[in-house]
Amino acid sequence: MDKSKQPEAVAAWGLKKSYGATVALSGVSLAVQPGEIHALLGENGAGKSTLVRIFSGILRADDGEMSLFGQSYRPQSIAAAREAGVTTAFQELSLLPNLSVAQNLLLPKMVKGRFGLNSKAESEARARDILERFGIAHLDPRREVSSLALSDRQRLEIVRALSREPRFLILDEPTAALAEVDWVFDHVRAVAARGSSVLYISHRLGEVRELCSHATILRNGQSIDSVELSDADNDDIFRMMVGRSVFVGGQANKSAPQKTGKPVLSVEGIKSQILRDVSFVLHQGEILGVAALEGQGQQGLFRILGGVEQADEGRISRAGRIGRFKNPHDALTRGGVAFVPEERKVDGIFPGLGVTPNITISILDRLSRGGVLSAPREARTTRQVAEKVELSNRYLAFRINELSGGNQQKAILARALATGAQVLVLFDPTRGVDVGTKQTIYAAIRAFAAAGGSVLLYSSELPELVEIADRCLVIYGGRVLDELVGAEIEEQALVAGVTGHARQRQTTPERPLPLCEEAPAQ
Amino acid sequence: MTVTTAQPMAPGWKRALSDGAMIITIVYLLLYAIYASSEPSALSVFSISSLINNTAPLALAAAGATLVIICRGFDLSVAGVVSVTNVVMAVMPLEGPWGALGSLAICLAIGGFIGLINGFLVAYLKLQSIASTLGVMIVCQGVALVILDAPGGWVAEWVSYELTDVLFGFLPVSGLILLGVVGLWLLVLRSNLGLAIYAVGADETSAGLSGIATRRVRLLVYVGAGLLYACAGYMLSAQTATGNPNAGTPFIILTFAAVAIGGTSFAGGSGGLIGSMIGAATLMLLQKVLFSTGVASFYTGMFQGLILVLAILFRGSIVALATRRGSG
Repeated sequence: MDKSKQPEAVAAWGLKKSYGATVALSGVSLAVQPGEIHALLGENGAGKSTLVRIFSGILRADDGEMSLFGQSYRPQSIAAAREAGVTTAFQELSLLPNLSVAQNLLLPKMVKGRFGLNSKAESEARARDILERFGIAHLDPRREVSSLALSDRQRLEIVRALSREPRFLILDEPTAALAEVDWVFDHVRAVAARGSSVLYISHRLGEVRELCSHATILRNGQSIDSVELSDADNDDIFRMMVGRSVFVGGQANKSAPQKTGKPVLSVEGIKSQILRDVSFVLHQGEILGVAALEGQGQQGLFRILGGVEQADEGRISRAGRIGRFKNPHDALTRGGVAFVPEERKVDGIFPGLGVTPNITISILDRLSRGGVLSAPREARTTRQVAEKVELSNRYLAFRINELSGGNQQKAILARALATGAQVLVLFDPTRGVDVGTKQTIYAAIRAFAAAGGSVLLYSSELPELVEIADRCLVIYGGRVLDELVGAEIEEQALVAGVTGHARQRQTTPERPLPLCEEAPAQ
Repeated sequence: MTVTTAQPMAPGWKRALSDGAMIITIVYLLLYAIYASSEPSALSVFSISSLINNTAPLALAAAGATLVIICRGFDLSVAGVVSVTNVVMAVMPLEGPWGALGSLAICLAIGGFIGLINGFLVAYLKLQSIASTLGVMIVCQGVALVILDAPGGWVAEWVSYELTDVLFGFLPVSGLILLGVVGLWLLVLRSNLGLAIYAVGADETSAGLSGIATRRVRLLVYVGAGLLYACAGYMLSAQTATGNPNAGTPFIILTFAAVAIGGTSFAGGSGGLIGSMIGAATLMLLQKVLFSTGVASFYTGMFQGLILVLAILFRGSIVALATRRGSG
């Protein structure tokens, strides 16, 4: 990159970082102009997070240089990075659950009142100002963060980074838990309009194209190229990201609409705090999608089917037997339902354990003889399911938290497959996962359905449902508002549905909840 | 109950009840009522002040341990610090008020130094807190034996008389010291350090990403704990007036029991010093109650354990109830 004509706001040359024998970055260079929103693209494990951590002052690069607005930039701590005007909204949100919204916003220093002591009232007032300024005044600054919905926590994380008036703002997957992205976009654009630079990391290429002007592509810890997005088509970008051509999107590879299989699981009149009378039938060999904006009750529905929560009313019939699932074990053993929950870090993985036990933990009794685990059997089973999700064998000996997010997700899916359940209930299984891994996960889901399994799949990304679902339920305000089959499943129809606009054939107009996620979440 | 009359009744009283300090205060008052009904002199200044004198060492030790536990750590060195400070007081009595102050300074230096070692091992070398503080504790016990190989020695008279005395006919000196610690803690709570202790205890990674200097916070917490253990040793010396190289040993179990009774979760990120101090007071009061009601003293441990389990059980059910109603 030529440094001559215009001074970059942010630049990096030849950044390198390794952990022992593992190389995370092996030469990353990029340049961002003032006022530019620059995307960072790459598969999971390409080195994006490491780069973010180096810019944010958490890690120090082994080699290479950085500059910030013409000055050499080498932060020794997060505080130093902030001092220099670099703030970050992290992908794995960095909020403290036991503190209030106000405390989280102002950390590490509260507003002082008399005698140099922290003033609760003034801190809350300052926090309220910030929340109002960034359009999330519905959050009470006194509320404990643990009681917030995931989407609100994500907003808070973003606002925290925005509120420090950064000269260089880094957003790592800021929309992963948000269905509405306009709010983020407006504020990011406002930051850029002030002349600050933004590094935007997202797996959603549509968003990136809408928001960013330039992009740097990382692969295997190296910056492959920096491109102007208007000049590069998706295929070019995917090729640079994965080093080969990937087919993405469209319905071309979707099998013809099928509703042939016999009913496997039927849900009748499920009611809970948010859900109002949800009924549907899942057939054998079917991938049934669920489309909804946040907080429309889909979380509850999936957790009820997974046995994590109980419905207030309604029943689940499975293979002629009627009842409800008392707990996830019951759902699995009696119902043959394996549930993959939403929050990978919290509900999914066992961080200290290896990848193998993470996969086999649900079926240990089957792998044991006389109560003693058979290592060869465990290894054989693990290899078999790992192959189905294309999880490379060399990862099996790692601890699961050492894997990238995408590989962790593959391992969790492998666990569900290993159970031998006939029904998979998957809640947003590709959240925060790169394009290549997504394709792998789709392929595994399709293969499972083709072999006679049934899948209920919620995704926060509508194009994903378009690509993979045979049939799709639209949930709105705790009800099934619409049902789309086969070719009817296309993005416009889904967008209309999730925002409460059912198609004409809906006879009685629903009285939908206002489009405010807070109402049902309370 | 002394619940503030907040208009939205529900969250206020539920929060207060699920807060461990509240529950243990109620338990304490109930126990005291039993004590008073079986022992008419229980409400006399003498009884109250002797109870507070008995309580002070354990309450201070529990306060120190709480600091570490809020920060999701574990500190066994309490026994070591109490033993070392106690034998130092016994072999090196410094007379008069200035002597007492000098002794206190020596004790605090010892406690602060041991806390510094703990903090360095845990925060900077990233050793496991239970293992490393266990090592430190064993070393300290050894040091105590080197200083004084058998129970004996004399603590300065000024210390053993004045610090167990009653001011103005009603105010026990040891109670004043406990109040001082409470006051300091309330100040810490309103500082960025106080907030950081809870933040680091809840999630060290997130705390770091939020700009908190997590290692320094941890170090300070262990130093603070060491200082409080030293105060515990100091007050214990005032009370026993003699030295014992094993003086700290009973503190290990009772300190952690007091913390648990007082509502501080061992998972870190919640709780507080005041609850632990009242927890310590409850354990000591229980001994008196059992004695006054004629129960043989070897039942004491059994009842202390029972109170511990019941307090946790009760709090758990209150919290469960509060969250269930709260969500409805």
